[in-house]
Amino acid sequence: MEGAATPRVTASYLSSYIGKNVIVVGKVIQLRGDEATLDAEGSINAHLNRDAHLAVGNGVQVIGKVNPDLSIKVLTSLDLGQGVDYNLANTVAEIAHQQRSIFFYD
Amino acid sequence: MGGSTQQGSQGGGSKFADDTLRPVTIKQLVESDEPYPGAGLAVDGIPVTQVTLIGQVRSVKPQATNVTYQIDDGTGVIDVKKWVDAERADSGATAQFAPDTYVRVFGRLTQFSGKKHVGAHFIRTIEDFNEVNYHLLDATYVHLYLTKGAAGGGGGGGGGVGGDAAGDGMFVDGGNGAARQSAGGPARLKMCGRNAQSLFAYMQRMAAGDEGCNIHAISQGMGMSTRDVMAAADELLGHGMIYTTLDDETWAVLDY
Repeated sequence: MEGAATPRVTASYLSSYIGKNVIVVGKVIQLRGDEATLDAEGSINAHLNRDAHLAVGNGVQVIGKVNPDLSIKVLTSLDLGQGVDYNLANTVAEIAHQQRSIFFYD
Repeated sequence: MGGSTQQGSQGGGSKFADDTLRPVTIKQLVESDEPYPGAGLAVDGIPVTQVTLIGQVRSVKPQATNVTYQIDDGTGVIDVKKWVDAERADSGATAQFAPDTYVRVFGRLTQFSGKKHVGAHFIRTIEDFNEVNYHLLDATYVHLYLTKGAAGGGGGGGGGVGGDAAGDGMFVDGGNGAARQSAGGPARLKMCGRNAQSLFAYMQRMAAGDEGCNIHAISQGMGMSTRDVMAAADELLGHGMIYTTLDDETWAVLDY
């Protein structure tokens, strides 16, 4: 079960999750071929897979592995469209880290 | 449908009236356990039957009597079984949810030969992604409510969920002591017994000034035996919430 868990994180948490799978909810700032820049309380470089359908300006949820250079190798992505409350998403990541007992396996 | 209710009644002792709908994270369900055999599964020490959860569909397995979905909310994965309604089977295949879509599930947590799953009453897709985050906060709130008591200081608690800054005060990292201290008197009162709590409330109401209240006055006023008052007062003394004044049997509320 532990392997299945993917913590919700923002840019500032990435350094604690190198080599692990995480969930990031952010806004697509830029698309360059199979690379994207996301904003989730700081910018994140994401290496996309083939079947990613992102749109600049839209929200996106990516699940992927954190590389040593703090970029993310995306396994799956989900376009969230407009109207995503990023403040809320960041707060949830924060609260998840404070209430570890119901979110994380330590 | 028939199958799920049957299993539920075996596990939970069919006390449907006690059921509440708990918002949970999947990790809470995965880690739920029985306090003693036959007690039913409990989360945060409180029996849990009806739950609501959110998550992404990871796999769909249509079977003869049900459709089994693996649901993942980032905290864990759990099987959700939606029983096929035999009477409505002809109205096209029961709506199935595509992999990766976010869904909300209402159902009943059951354990069958050691494996937990949720027997779903209802599943729907989530249209507004923010609902996912709302749910996670909801689950956190209920978890904190059940483990630490209602939000202390009214407004402070409510604001804690919304604002980042206020959140830091409300959600101290697992440190029970720290959380209680920051909330002051009322929060500490929750650690006291029922008698001690009502004694404290009574003494606050009486506001007897520096001399405080005597044990006999309290006993009469509250209709409690002097022994019970003594025990309750001892508890409050231990927490430093009242202090002795004229003699060992007269106390005043410690205000600061």
